[in-house]
Amino acid sequence: MKTENCCAAPPLAEGAAAKQPSGADRTARGASKYLAGLPSRGLFSSAVLSSNPGGMRVYVCDHETAPPEGQVIKTNTTNILIRALQINKQKSDAKDVIAKSAADSSTVKRSAVTTSERRSPPKKMKTSSASTSHRGSCSSELSEKKLQMMTVEMLRALLKERGLSPKGKKDELIARLKDKA
Amino acid sequence: MSVWNYVVTAQKPTNVTHSCVGNFTSPQELNLIIAKCTRIEIHLLTPHGLQPMLDVPIYGRIATLELFRPHGEPQDFLFIATERYKFCVLQWDAETSELITRAMGDVSDRIGRPTDNGQIGLIDPDCRLIGLHLYDGLFKVIPFDNKGQLKEAFNIRLEELQVLDIKFLYGCLKPTIVVLYQDNKDARHAKTYEIALKDKDFVEGPLSHTNLDNGAGILIPVPMPLGGVIIIGEETIVYCSVSAFKAIPIRPSITRAYGRVDADGSRYLLGDNAGLLHLLVITHERERVTGLKIEHLGETSVASTISYLDNAVVYIGSSYGDSQLIKLNLQPDAKGSYIEVLEKYVNLGPIVDFCVVDLERQGQGQVVTCSGAYKDGSLRIVRNGIGINEQASVELQGIKGLWSLRSSTNDPYDTFLVVSFINETRVLAMNMDDELEESEIEGFCAEAQTLFCQNAIHDQLVQVTANSVRLVSSTTRELLHEWNAPSGYSVNVATANVSQVLLATGGGHLVYLEIGNGKLAEVKHVQLDYEISCLDINPSGENPNYSTLAAVGMWTDISVRIFSLPSLELLAKENLGGEIIPRSVLLCTFEGVSYLLCTLGDGHLLNFLLNLSTGELSNRKKVSLGTQPIMLRTFSSKDTTHVFAASDRPTVIYSSNKKLLYSNVNLKEVSHMCPFNSAAFPDSLAIAKEGELSIGTIDDIQKLHIRTIPLGEHARRICHQEQSRTFAICSLKNCQTSNEETEMHFVRLLDDQTFEFISTYPLDTYEYGCSIISCSFSDDNNAYYCVGTAYVLPEENEPSKGRILVFVVEDGKLQLIAEKETKGAVYSLNAFNGKLLAAINQKIQLYKWMLREDGSRELQAECGHHGHILALYVQTRGDFIVVGDLMKSISLLLYKHEEGAIEELARDYNANWMSAVEILDDDVFLGAENNYNLFTVRKNSDAATDEERGRLEVVGEYHLGEFVNRFRHGSLVMRLPDSEAGHIPTVIFGTINGVIGVVASLPHDQYVFLEKLQANLVKVIKGVGGLSHEQWRSFNNEKKTVDARNFLDGDLIESFLDLSRSRMDEIASSMAVPLEELCKRVEELTRLH
Repeated sequence: MKTENCCAAPPLAEGAAAKQPSGADRTARGASKYLAGLPSRGLFSSAVLSSNPGGMRVYVCDHETAPPEGQVIKTNTTNILIRALQINKQKSDAKDVIAKSAADSSTVKRSAVTTSERRSPPKKMKTSSASTSHRGSCSSELSEKKLQMMTVEMLRALLKERGLSPKGKKDELIARLKDKA
Repeated sequence: MSVWNYVVTAQKPTNVTHSCVGNFTSPQELNLIIAKCTRIEIHLLTPHGLQPMLDVPIYGRIATLELFRPHGEPQDFLFIATERYKFCVLQWDAETSELITRAMGDVSDRIGRPTDNGQIGLIDPDCRLIGLHLYDGLFKVIPFDNKGQLKEAFNIRLEELQVLDIKFLYGCLKPTIVVLYQDNKDARHAKTYEIALKDKDFVEGPLSHTNLDNGAGILIPVPMPLGGVIIIGEETIVYCSVSAFKAIPIRPSITRAYGRVDADGSRYLLGDNAGLLHLLVITHERERVTGLKIEHLGETSVASTISYLDNAVVYIGSSYGDSQLIKLNLQPDAKGSYIEVLEKYVNLGPIVDFCVVDLERQGQGQVVTCSGAYKDGSLRIVRNGIGINEQASVELQGIKGLWSLRSSTNDPYDTFLVVSFINETRVLAMNMDDELEESEIEGFCAEAQTLFCQNAIHDQLVQVTANSVRLVSSTTRELLHEWNAPSGYSVNVATANVSQVLLATGGGHLVYLEIGNGKLAEVKHVQLDYEISCLDINPSGENPNYSTLAAVGMWTDISVRIFSLPSLELLAKENLGGEIIPRSVLLCTFEGVSYLLCTLGDGHLLNFLLNLSTGELSNRKKVSLGTQPIMLRTFSSKDTTHVFAASDRPTVIYSSNKKLLYSNVNLKEVSHMCPFNSAAFPDSLAIAKEGELSIGTIDDIQKLHIRTIPLGEHARRICHQEQSRTFAICSLKNCQTSNEETEMHFVRLLDDQTFEFISTYPLDTYEYGCSIISCSFSDDNNAYYCVGTAYVLPEENEPSKGRILVFVVEDGKLQLIAEKETKGAVYSLNAFNGKLLAAINQKIQLYKWMLREDGSRELQAECGHHGHILALYVQTRGDFIVVGDLMKSISLLLYKHEEGAIEELARDYNANWMSAVEILDDDVFLGAENNYNLFTVRKNSDAATDEERGRLEVVGEYHLGEFVNRFRHGSLVMRLPDSEAGHIPTVIFGTINGVIGVVASLPHDQYVFLEKLQANLVKVIKGVGGLSHEQWRSFNNEKKTVDARNFLDGDLIESFLDLSRSRMDEIASSMAVPLEELCKRVEELTRLH
């Protein structure tokens, strides 16, 4: 509403109406004033500008023009809605994990954690490929404690993401993750 | 014609759609980059002006062109997106002078409705992402990673469906776009969104303004420290940022383009649709914006893009008129304009209509186009070849030779013109009144035919006659020394340069003399096996005064020999083959490449590459220039050497891109030519024609010549009438009366030589001229102009009323003879069996020309044919009628004389929206449609069933990438009787981008050969930016995409000649054809246009 008023502001319109009939000479002087000090880097400085100092070469491209590896860009074909849901879930998962880890300090809550774990793996499986960057930023904060909290499946997913071998016992997996970090 | 077609561009696109300025070719160099639809041009800004660098073909129609600087790069990259959803990022490699592809990709989506308001592409000023708006409701993001590499793209849902403009705001922590859009109540609003790259979604941004100007159309983001955005409307200009909001009213106008002047964004140039240029100033105190000011600067072409270059020089790119380079002056001129036009760049677009005429009646077609729009409308006369503008002429019969002489070696101008006749020599000189009068050089022999004469060193002149060589002082004009031919022998041919003379006497004697100070010395004498027919010692090596090579043409064994000088040792011999003797040889150097040119008595020209040190000849090529013997002579124009070939078809031979090109000269027959650069006629040529000696200047040496006839109004239809030697056009003029803008439509008559309006017939209010032809009727010898019109009333969707007007030209005036009212717009008129065939809305109607009882004439409806949506384009051949419909492709009708009826024979059942049709032959028809494709259909008269006979079979498909407005049969070049290209039928087309192209129907064997060549070339010549040729030329519309067939890309095939020698060899060997043969066949094709 405010902007509407501004657009049709009557004082402005009047001001312009008053200015227009006042003759061309005024605008002329005005334009000169505003045309002063146009940017210059010394080009077009010659008094006589030659019209066509050289010919135009027609470009014939006989070298390879394929872009460097990885620079053939495609569009992510995931449906926007599904992508949004995935991102939301990822976020809430990350929150979950962080919240859980913060709350967790003893094995008393172990059972609660496992329940959440049971729920989460399928989601993780889905998201792990969809958004590397998101996971990457999360995982960098992972301490040993947090890693200890995760299930073997989650650790394996993290390892796969980093291109490491997902085999071995849980402790080995954690050690491998920590080494990499 | 046939179904095997070859499509080639004669005039490249000239319509400038985009331009930008940046450091592209080097961190220190500033470039202007211009997009002309399917080509980009790279120019360099220098202290002396704009220097063209490179003309780059792009396999796509350019939708967006942006320069940007990724983090850590010293120079700018170029981002190009094409209308068919491809994009590429190009980088200039200064070392190899090549364009390198940094990234490319396909940004199309499987689902999505293409935007109505054009594709938008933009790059975040901090280079975090590229944004694209290609489909309604979607915003595509291509993010950069921190190394400047592009990552996978993704779409974001954009709520606004009718987007008018999108820009990135400056100085935002997160990339922020501002969107100008229209809602479903047609109100316009602006809104900002931050792009959350992590969440791949929009977040509401800092600014939002509802209910803007109803004509708001352009957003200008303002750089920091001011920030914010300017919204240009039709009646107001608004500036808004987080902290400020300013608005000013402006005189109603539609702004088409803007250009930023200052880096801090305080001044902008705005160009509107009337071609007026304004300066928009943001006044500010430090970082606080205090207001906006707009100042009128003057008038330019209607701008489609504005780029501020440097030092008050601005590039104005135009789609409707010539693009311009302008300078903004601090003080207004007498008319109050601050604009000074420094240079104009010809633009033929949009070519709405054209006709092919032979105004000079020399058998060479010229194209006269209706070009430009609005105030920049014009007629353009496009002609192949080079014009000689005659300045003076005298009648002189029997000229046998022509030379110009200077009065001293250092004189910049020529004084004497030596004209040789069968048994005398006359000298003409410029007198004090700058007139050419007969003069005398005492030392010259006037009673004999001069074989050669020349200015020599030490202020001397040389004259060679049959008996002697005379050395004359150019100051005293007295004979200094004479060399006499041995008794019993006479000199047959001779040549000289400033320090050497070479002559041949009967019996095959070759004599070499050197010119000293006041002395001629015979240095060497040899006898050859046969008589000598021609000689040349034009210095083509490093020393401009002394040649180390001599070229000699021989009788009997028909050969050219290269001798060394002064020893006259045979270095090389090349047999020419055939029985025609060489008549003229010439040693010359173009663009640093040395050639030997040799012409034969039958009008053929052979050229060889010449090795200056060994005298070796290589790379032989043969072309046909005419049918008579050719005399070769060099001349200079604009400091470049060219060769004039005088014959029955005079030709200028010049070099471009190190490739020899041949251009016709607009003269009929020239026997001799010499350059004549006098004070009164600077840079002129003296030309000996049949019975006449004339002096004239020569046009710029280039292939196509374009002459502009500015009209100040928009011509829409044109035709030529041979009988009255006039053109008639339908045109419209926009008139500004007080506050209202009205259109006035006219039929105008123009003289076909002067192009002046000689008569005008104004049409009624709301009446548009839709078609015009010149025709005559059965039992009436007069030639008439018939004009079809439509009443375009504001309340009607389709015109329901029109007229056919019949004019005759009497005493240079248009006289209305008859008029006939029609029930719709007369979209097309054709002369048809002595009657008039009109296309009126959905109907085809035939009119008879009837004599009334009172002796006057009238048009009477005979028969018609219904069943079209809108019959827009009609062509006829015999009794056949081919109709191009608005949206129902091509149909074929037949007029039956006995029944007096028009019946449909066959149609193409595809839903092509047509833009032009033409009949190639009895069975094959060519069409162009609105997705920039060409296609051919064929009549199936031999088919077994009625159903099949009633179907036009699609036989050829091709993506031209140009919107064709008109096809016409004809040719831009002189048809030479004995060249292969002379028998190839051609159709010329004209497009919106100002392209003039040629469709040539090839014999099948040649088509197959060239198809193979094209397939080989695609492997070698790569698309710039990694774009694919095959995809680019594939027929594409909303419904289907299929590979091109039965059409060849002539532009690609002819670029074979621009390849390096090794690449050419590579292709020739993979084609298993000798290179000479391959070059010859491609060169033949280049002579089609």
